[in-house]
Amino acid sequence: MVAAGAIVAAGAIMLTACGRGDGAAGGPESKGEIDDKPATGTVEIWAMGNEGEVLGELAAKFEEENPDVTIDVTAVPWESAHDRIATAIAGGETPDISMLGTTWVGEFAATGAFEPTPDGLVDEGDFFEGSWNTTVVDDVAYGVPWYVDTRVLYYRTDLAEAAGVEAPTTWEEYKTFAAALKSQGATSGVSLPPGGFDSWQYVAPLAWQQGGDILDSDGETFEFDSPEWQEAFEFYASFFEEGISEPVRLEGGEIEQKFISGEVGSFFSGPYHVSLLREQGGAEFADKFAVAMVPGADTRTSFTGGGNLAVFDDSENRDAAWKFVRWLSQPETQVQWYDISTDLPSVEAAWDDPVFADDPYLSVFGEQLADSKAPPAIPTWAQVSAIVDQELEKVTRGETNVEDALAAVQQQAESIGTGQ
Amino acid sequence: MATLAPQAPARARASRRSRHATLVAWGFAAPFLILFLVFMAGPIVASLMMSFTDLTTRDLQTPFNVNFVGFENYAELFADPRFVRSLLNTAVFVIVGVPLTMALALAVALALNTGIAKFRTVFRVGYYAPVVTSIVAIAIVWRFILQPDGLLNGFLGWFGIAGPGWLQSTTWALPSLILMAVWRNIGTLMVIFLAGLQGVPKEHHEAAMVDGANAFQRFGNITIPAMRPTLLFAAVITGIGFLQFFEEPFVMTRGGPLDATLSAAMYTFNQFGFGNYSYASAASYVLFLAIVALSLIQFRLLGKKD
Repeated sequence: MVAAGAIVAAGAIMLTACGRGDGAAGGPESKGEIDDKPATGTVEIWAMGNEGEVLGELAAKFEEENPDVTIDVTAVPWESAHDRIATAIAGGETPDISMLGTTWVGEFAATGAFEPTPDGLVDEGDFFEGSWNTTVVDDVAYGVPWYVDTRVLYYRTDLAEAAGVEAPTTWEEYKTFAAALKSQGATSGVSLPPGGFDSWQYVAPLAWQQGGDILDSDGETFEFDSPEWQEAFEFYASFFEEGISEPVRLEGGEIEQKFISGEVGSFFSGPYHVSLLREQGGAEFADKFAVAMVPGADTRTSFTGGGNLAVFDDSENRDAAWKFVRWLSQPETQVQWYDISTDLPSVEAAWDDPVFADDPYLSVFGEQLADSKAPPAIPTWAQVSAIVDQELEKVTRGETNVEDALAAVQQQAESIGTGQ
Repeated sequence: MATLAPQAPARARASRRSRHATLVAWGFAAPFLILFLVFMAGPIVASLMMSFTDLTTRDLQTPFNVNFVGFENYAELFADPRFVRSLLNTAVFVIVGVPLTMALALAVALALNTGIAKFRTVFRVGYYAPVVTSIVAIAIVWRFILQPDGLLNGFLGWFGIAGPGWLQSTTWALPSLILMAVWRNIGTLMVIFLAGLQGVPKEHHEAAMVDGANAFQRFGNITIPAMRPTLLFAAVITGIGFLQFFEEPFVMTRGGPLDATLSAAMYTFNQFGFGNYSYASAASYVLFLAIVALSLIQFRLLGKKD
C-alpha cells in the first residue's frame, strides 16, 4: 500500500510538473523591503506537529493587532509534511508560509520555491548563530528561525551524588561520570543509540567540539576523513566497548521510563523532556534529575535543530506573510509562544525574560544554545547523514573499524555530493 | 415474409435496449474509471517515465531541467548493495511468511469450522483482532515483548534460556518481524478460508466417508481441490502484501539493525524521502515487476483447472 501511495504521489508530482515551463535558472530574488504598515488580507501558513495544533492561539493575537488580516493555519502531521511541501512546490499550489524542519531548508531552497529573506526584515544578530545558519543556503537566508531545540545532558542527581561525581565538563570527566552512574546500578551510565536512525546527531557534536566539521570551509568538500571525526567515532564507540552504555536503542517513551527507574543514568535530549519527566516521574522525582551543558573537548558544542519559517516565492500575499514572520520572531511574541507551545525562543533577547533566565532547567538550554551547531544546509544532507548512521552502527557492533567506516562515509558522501 | 416482418422491429428494440444497458453500465463504471485513470493509471505511467530521468527535489519547479538517463537508475539500483540486501530481505520475508501464514490460517480455519463450536465467536474475534488494530499500537506492545528484558525473554528465562535482544540482533530482527507479520495476517486469511470451507459441499464428504476415507484423505482429496480458487486468491493477496513489507520495519526497526530488516518498499520510501524521485520510481518499478512475477508463478501453480 505504501509503495503504491508513493508511486501515486510521485506520479502526481510528475504530471503537475509537466504543465510548468519557466525553466528558471538560479534562485528567486527578494522583492524588496517590508514596510511597517499593518498587515492585510489572508495569510495561509502550514505548521507541523504540536506547532500546527496551537499556532491558531498565537495567531489570534496578531489578528487583533492587525484587524484586516486573517491568518489561516493548517496543521500538517510531521510524517507527511515533507511530501506535502514537495507536492505543493511541484504543483505550484503553495501556501504563503511554511514551517520547515531545519534540516529541510537546503533541499527545498534548491528548488527555488522560497523567497530570500527581505533586507532589513530582521536583524541576523538577534538570533542564535547556529540557529540562523540553518536558514542560510549558499550565503542566502531563506526565512527566519522560529524556535530552537538543542541537546543537553539529563542526569540523575541522586545517583551522581551517591557516586560522588558532578556534572562533567570534559570528555574524560564525562566517561568517568557515566561509569560512576553505572556503578550505582544503572544498566547504561549514559544511553546512546548504537548507530542507526539519527545517531549522527549524537556523534557530530563530538567532531565539532574538537574543531572538526562536516564540510570544509569552502562548503563543498566533505571532511569525514579528518582526525576529528576519527576521534569522535572512537570516543563514541568506546562507551559500548567499555560496557558503560548498553547497545540498545531506546525510543521515545522507553527512555523516560528507564531514566525514572534508574536503569539509565543519563541521556542527551531536547527541552521537551523536562516536562515529560516531571509529568511521568511525579513530584518525588522532580528533584532527582538535573540538566547540564554537554561535556566537551575544545568547546562544548551541542546539536541544534528546531523549526524555521519560510515564505514561498509565489505567495499571493507576501508582504503580510513576511510581517507575520517578523512578528513571530520578536522577543515578546516568542515568550508568549513558549507559554503556548513550550518551544524555545530562537531570539537571544527573549532569554532575558525571567521565565527562562530564572528557571534552573531552561537557563541551561539558553547557555547551551550559545554553543550549538546545526548540520550544513545542503539538499543531500538526509542522504549523507543516513550513511553516517549506518557506518557508526557497524563500528559499535564491531563489524568494521573506525578508519574503514569513515573512509566509507567519505567515499559515499563524495559520490552523493552536496547537491549544489 | 410474414414471420420476418414483426421480427425486425423486435431486433431493433432488443439492440436499442442493449445499447441502453451498455450506457447504463458505463455510467455506473465511469466514476471509478475516471478516478482510476486520473489517480492511478496516470501516476503509474508518469512514475515509469520518471524512472528513466534524473528528477530530484531541486527540479520540482523546473521540470525542463530534467534529463533522460535511460536505464541508469536501474543500473545504479542493482549496483547498490543496500538495495540488493533489501530485495533479499523481502524475498526471505515472502518465502517464509506466505506459506507460514497460509498454513496457520488454514489450520485455524479448519479448527473453527469443525470443532469447538461453543467458543467459535471468541476465537474468530481473537484471531481477527490483530488485523483491525493499528500497527502503531501493536508495535508498542511488541516492542515491550521483544525488549532484551521484555516479556518474551522473561518467559524464556523460566526455562533457563537467555533470549537475545530480538530487535537489536541482526540475526533475530527479521524473524521477529516475520513472526509479527504472520500473526497479524492470519486473521484476514482465516476469514477467507472459513468462507471457502463452508463452500465445500457436505455431500462429497459424506460420500467419501461411506467409501471409508479417513479425515486426512478427505482433506487431501476433497477439501483442498475444492478450495483451490480460494487458496489461489489467498496466496496472491498474501504474496503481494508480504512483498510490500513496510509497516513492521518502519515502526519497529527503521530497517535496522544494519539493514537486517530493510525491505524493498522501505528502501524505496527512504529514497523518496531523500528527494530522489526518479531513483525511487525505478525502485518501485523493480518491486512492481517482482509482484507481477510472483503472481504469475502463483497462478501457474494453483490456477490449473481440473
